[in-house]
Amino acid sequence: MDLSLLADPVFLAQNLVDGLSRGALYGVYAMGFTLIFGVLDILNLAHAATFMWCAFVGWLIMAAGGAPLPLGLVAAMIAGAAIALMLEFVAFRPLRREGADKLSSMISSIGASLIMVSVAEAVFGVQTRRFPNSVLNPKPFFIGGAGGVRISRAQILILAASVLLMVALGLFIRKSRMGKAIRAVAASQKAARLLGIDVNSVIVVTFLVGGALAGAAGILVALLTNNIVPGMGNQIELRGLAVVILGGMGNIEGAVVGGFLLGLVETLTIAYVPGGSDIKDAIAFLILFIILLVKPNGIMGRGKADRA
Amino acid sequence: MSAKRSILCAIAFAAAAVASAAPLPATIKIGVVETLTGDNSAYGISIRKGIELAAEEINASKLLGSSQLALVVADDKADKQEGISVFTKLINDEKVSAIIGPTLSGTAFAADPVAQKAGVPVLGTSTTAVGITAMGDFIFRDSLPQAAVIPGTLAAVIAKYKPQKAALLFQADQEYSKSEADVFKASLAKLNIQLVATESYSKGDSDFRTQLQKLFSKKPDILVLCSLVGEAIPVLQQAREIGITVPIVGGNGFNSPNVIKNAKEAAEGLIVGSSWFIDSVVPKSKAFVEAFRKKYGGDPDQFASQGYSGLFIVANAIKGSGSADRTAIRDALGKVKGLDTTLGSFSFDENRDPVCQSVPLTVKDGKYVLFQ
Repeated sequence: MDLSLLADPVFLAQNLVDGLSRGALYGVYAMGFTLIFGVLDILNLAHAATFMWCAFVGWLIMAAGGAPLPLGLVAAMIAGAAIALMLEFVAFRPLRREGADKLSSMISSIGASLIMVSVAEAVFGVQTRRFPNSVLNPKPFFIGGAGGVRISRAQILILAASVLLMVALGLFIRKSRMGKAIRAVAASQKAARLLGIDVNSVIVVTFLVGGALAGAAGILVALLTNNIVPGMGNQIELRGLAVVILGGMGNIEGAVVGGFLLGLVETLTIAYVPGGSDIKDAIAFLILFIILLVKPNGIMGRGKADRA
Repeated sequence: MSAKRSILCAIAFAAAAVASAAPLPATIKIGVVETLTGDNSAYGISIRKGIELAAEEINASKLLGSSQLALVVADDKADKQEGISVFTKLINDEKVSAIIGPTLSGTAFAADPVAQKAGVPVLGTSTTAVGITAMGDFIFRDSLPQAAVIPGTLAAVIAKYKPQKAALLFQADQEYSKSEADVFKASLAKLNIQLVATESYSKGDSDFRTQLQKLFSKKPDILVLCSLVGEAIPVLQQAREIGITVPIVGGNGFNSPNVIKNAKEAAEGLIVGSSWFIDSVVPKSKAFVEAFRKKYGGDPDQFASQGYSGLFIVANAIKGSGSADRTAIRDALGKVKGLDTTLGSFSFDENRDPVCQSVPLTVKDGKYVLFQ
């Protein structure tokens, strides 16, 4: 442990900013993931591939097409919704109709993911794509003058987006008519159907929202890391899953809180543990394991009936 | 190609043919294993261009008489398994006389033993890690090992900036980067520069700000980076973004114009060491730059130059041995001394490593120029 670093408040504040913005990424990604899980009880392992495709759509529109950032963000979210909708019709609904079990749906989503990554490799190549500086000025602000705490526009954007999306999604699920229907379907598809809820259209809406969140995450990750490759989903896939479990399966706020937690642990490990960057995953997952020992349903997890 | 030179070549070939019992076969296959896809294709594609230009010139000038070099090009995808399978295929199915490549040291550590075991000479034109040629007596390289470049580069940096403290960032799970970091550490110690902090990252990482911030907090006078092109670009950008303004010294991975093209102003002032640069006054180099521009319409880089010279070195070994036999080529490679190449006068030392010049370069206005 490096004591001189511990005594430096600017360094600590800097790592909190970096850790929270890293965590916000995980949170936005995990929100869509956990929503679909909460409603359907299946892991949509094509979520990472959806996320990657949306980053490329954003890149195409903004870097190659010259569109401004808000347009790119909206386009990526629409692309995400469209891809998720396609997944529902191609990979999930046919299986549901045949009454296949949850495991088959998961395998089907793995297949869809592999196809999506291969197609991206064929279309875009495996070379890294980057945004030009004109998309989002990479020059950061320094709070407290030079040598102060650095925060970039991308970090501000992602922190704001994560909280906004969390609140909006929470309100939508709890207050809106459709949100209530989603919760009813999450509790029991059979009971919801008996009550006259059109289960299939509720599932379609769930996929649209989940996909749009994957799209938002894709574009935000692309902006923060400026590193767009067909394999970019691999880096976030496992962490996203961990965050979903940490926050409580199907819990929207839990996903965001879990994301922040993982981002902070990773960043602080690199910052304060000697050789931390080599063992950040080991430490992060060790802490996750300990939390789950204490709270097996996740930090904000409740029973199954309360999901979504 | 002047008529006079072709006659000379023909005479030389006739002499060689008389000297050896069996004449050279009509075509001699040379395997070219490079990274042609992914981020590291920045190096591999450049090398292939240099080699293909050299093959055209060698065949047109009848350097090997009526015998022609035929290149068998394969993509190693910067992957160890792929490298092994491509080497096996070239050696057993294509029956190549020699192999040039692979692009990355990590791939070489996996694939070169296959060639060593089969007795096929290998010439690396971009592998710089410690221990490449130690894999066996069939393994050569014309790319300067890190230990031959780094001390000179650091000495030039010391002369200009007089740094006291250095910080270093490398990729922990990448052979080339790790080896280069070790050589930098040893050289810094020898030159009495204190290494105040070392940080690393892993494959797939794209956010290096925390590591850079940590290095920066130790107030180094210079920052040393050992990265391949995919990470070199964001590392440079993020270093400048967080406010690091001290001179940055990059390893061999930073020798690609691709780094400058993508990192843009963040690459300005970057210092590297190289066997070659575009304004080199070596006569062979001037002719090479001209021919390269004519064929491809762009500038060559260090990797193209090393690839180009690599094939000439192999061709001269074939000519010297008067045979396309793998062991005969290996023996002749060992005897290469004072060969006129784009890298200047070129020889192999007793460890099959190159003996040629290394120059410190810096990036100025988007170009590598001599560092002074």
